[in-house]
Amino acid sequence: MDKFLYISMTGAKEALDAQRLRANNLANVSTTGFKADFHQYRSMSVFGEHYPSRAYAMSERPGTDTSSGTYMETARDLDLAIKGDGWFAVQMPDGSEAYTRAGDLKRDVTGAVTTGTGLPIMSDGGPLVLPEYEKLVVGVDGTLSITGLGEDALSLTQVARLKLVNPPAGEMEKGEDGLFRLKGGGELQSDPEVQVVNGMLEGSNVNPVNEMTAIISHARLYEMNVKMMQAAKEMDEASARIMQN
Amino acid sequence: MHASLWVSKTGLSAQDTRLKTISNNLANVSTTGFKRDRAVFQDLLYQINRQPGGQSSQNTELPSGLQLGTGVRMVATQKEFTMGNIEVTDQGLDMAINGRGFFQILMPDGSINYTRDGQFQVDSTGQVVTSGGFPLEPGITVPEGFQNISIGTDGVVTAVDAQTGDSTQIGNVQLADFINPAGLEAMGSNLFRETVASGAPTQGEPGQNGLGPIIQGALESSNVNVVEEMVNMIETQRAYEMNSKVISTVDQMLQFIGQQL
Repeated sequence: MDKFLYISMTGAKEALDAQRLRANNLANVSTTGFKADFHQYRSMSVFGEHYPSRAYAMSERPGTDTSSGTYMETARDLDLAIKGDGWFAVQMPDGSEAYTRAGDLKRDVTGAVTTGTGLPIMSDGGPLVLPEYEKLVVGVDGTLSITGLGEDALSLTQVARLKLVNPPAGEMEKGEDGLFRLKGGGELQSDPEVQVVNGMLEGSNVNPVNEMTAIISHARLYEMNVKMMQAAKEMDEASARIMQN
Repeated sequence: MHASLWVSKTGLSAQDTRLKTISNNLANVSTTGFKRDRAVFQDLLYQINRQPGGQSSQNTELPSGLQLGTGVRMVATQKEFTMGNIEVTDQGLDMAINGRGFFQILMPDGSINYTRDGQFQVDSTGQVVTSGGFPLEPGITVPEGFQNISIGTDGVVTAVDAQTGDSTQIGNVQLADFINPAGLEAMGSNLFRETVASGAPTQGEPGQNGLGPIIQGALESSNVNVVEEMVNMIETQRAYEMNSKVISTVDQMLQFIGQQL
């Protein structure tokens, strides 16, 4: 009796796993700064002395699509978006640094500036703190200048510069919390070349058409594997009948 | 059952809540002093099914693993305190704040609430009250027989005695400001309440120390942008549809295996 039932089973199982990855991408189609995950299948061959036909399927997430999402105009002064390549740095509760593209910042009662999800955003000199201001001007390199309360509109004071980093392509990896870190660990140096604009937000870079097409393709692949499992069942039944006669 | 069903379910419920904030914004498109809400989304945890960089033999390692996300959630709604349009109404007790600051309203329980809605009226005792009937704080009373109330940009309220024609100062409008207005708790009826996140209020004279001057005979309209909300609504609806499509696809897959085997 041939055990190709198990090979078809891995095909169907991995297609379901792939479906989950696509479902996650689609669920995050409106998450600010979200980066879509890639997916690939790989064949894991286990060849013995017989006819080499045992190649099991494996689902993988080889990486994350770091291309820019769509930019949305919001006109809010603390909404920032990075033009082209680059990342914002945020501080994790344990003091380490992680990187994100989500620039929906907010300022709390102590003046500390955090992302929409509540992580402190880093400036060149540690976590960013902004004094009370009437007007905030964000320079293209992330320099923040403010006009204090009741001050002359022309008197701008430079207060801090956002920490913007730009590691080489392929160095960043998405962690379990959805934030990005360097593959080998460690912190990045600030890069003056990264450009930032305010009053804009970067949306999710998930391409819904892409994801829907992939979902259809995974579903068909799954069905074909189930068909093969059914064929295995019929063949087993046929050989059982021969034995019965 | 299969995890993608739950992943897509998080997508559906997040889009559902987002639609609720959009519909609330649109419903308040003509509410004086209304500040729009924005939904903040965050991706949920990732589960590592196969660790990237694990050893595939003594000298080789797996180039990539399998990390699967668990969906999305709405972490917060954020009030956006951008200015609405100033509309001229020519009503004597209508006030708009052109900049930062809130009117202080004395609630029946003695606490102070804050509002940007400057539609004030005079009640039977001559007190200046909101359309909900709550008095402005510090209180201003228009004495009987006085008319032609005028409010200066610095909040000084004067009225003219109808008999003698003399102008008298009858009160001062004071404004309050917060370090983080987005942290205020919206109470409904255009009112906000101080929270730990907003910080303690600082009182001041309109037009001083960063507080906006008062414009008499004008109102601040809602800061909801109808076009933006419509675009958000289209986006929400389509995202909702696509997430439900994933659920039906996975459902069909599970149904298929049930029927075929």
